[in-house]
Amino acid sequence: MNEPSQYLGPMIKGTIDGLSITVRPGTVLLNAARTLGIHIPTLCHHEGLPPDGNCRLCVSQVGGRLVASCIYPLTADGFQAQTDNERIRYARSLVIALMLIRAPEAPVVVALAREYGVTEQPRLRRVTADGCLRCGRCVRACLTGGAEAVSLVGRGTARIVTGPFFEPPPDCVGCLSCARMCPTGIIGFTELFDRRQIWGRNFQLVPCPTCGRPWATEEELARLNADRLCPACRRRAMAEAISSCPTEN
Amino acid sequence: MAIMKSINVVPGRCVGCLNCELACASRDWGQYFPAGSKINLVFFKSGGKVPVTCFQCNDAPCLKVCRTGALDRNEATGVISVNAQKCIGCRTCVSVCPFGNIAYRPSSSRVEKCDQCQGSPRCVAICPSGALTYTEDAGTSADRRRKFAQSLLEASQES
Repeated sequence: MNEPSQYLGPMIKGTIDGLSITVRPGTVLLNAARTLGIHIPTLCHHEGLPPDGNCRLCVSQVGGRLVASCIYPLTADGFQAQTDNERIRYARSLVIALMLIRAPEAPVVVALAREYGVTEQPRLRRVTADGCLRCGRCVRACLTGGAEAVSLVGRGTARIVTGPFFEPPPDCVGCLSCARMCPTGIIGFTELFDRRQIWGRNFQLVPCPTCGRPWATEEELARLNADRLCPACRRRAMAEAISSCPTEN
Repeated sequence: MAIMKSINVVPGRCVGCLNCELACASRDWGQYFPAGSKINLVFFKSGGKVPVTCFQCNDAPCLKVCRTGALDRNEATGVISVNAQKCIGCRTCVSVCPFGNIAYRPSSSRVEKCDQCQGSPRCVAICPSGALTYTEDAGTSADRRRKFAQSLLEASQES
């Protein structure tokens, strides 16, 4: 994100899985691998959000070190990276086993467990299976969207995603980005007629002054200082303006 | 500056056949599904019909408010397109588009907008009546100027 498209400085060379590649210094290993068409599994990574290295699923090896490839910048010339070997698969299996405890029913986790042959390990069962992987993708979506309503609170196994003081977040505008970004889909929301509910907040949807269809929350519109007309009615208003102008036939 | 082409609408020529909507929807959905179309026909009680789609505004509000970089303008063509990989589905662009020409699809949790089919818009290709044209920005006005000049010439010859 926001990288200058023109870069004329020195480039660095290295190999990923034996394939040589030349990259700009600071390029993240995951992006470098993707340009080569090498698949690295990811979960908390999203191209539109800042990488955070939370879930550790993208773990790869550079030299002798295991690194989270989504946040590992390639800086030294002659790097040698590997994205798939016995050690990496073992590390990823452990990550998936931990995910399986938290979200045993999430389709994305189940698919990963099947791919890596991971089954539930009772010794890891120290936390509740609440479906949340603590990957922070919802928090980054909220931050990027500008609301900064929810965040990761607490440490270790006590870590949860919540609003300030464990209360419904007052800054939430009800855009639902967090729910759409959640890889396990555990962030619950309801939308019924002119009501929207998320994070314990109740939102009243604003009806369009022309057609009456409720379409966005008051908070969303206030933040953007946006027109209250719904998109379909805006389109109609514009079409009317075009048709009322004299034009050739 | 590169020559930028745009989809132009001549509302008087539209016959309301909806082929543009179907051609648009069939590209992304593989079937005739008008609700998935990025060009929309608006019908009026007076009998008027106007096809509308994204104008690729110069000072585009959608582009300004997108904070993940999912909306991006191709500097060579001037077309703003959605990178589905970067879209987080916040619908901010939907709220700010003054013309309602960017749509949120609940099925994919992403927004969709007209990208002019990478330079060969299907809606224009299929339009049977010439209501939709795909020309350089100056093209339409030059046509009209010429037509008006022609009518002046004819009038002067008659008198």
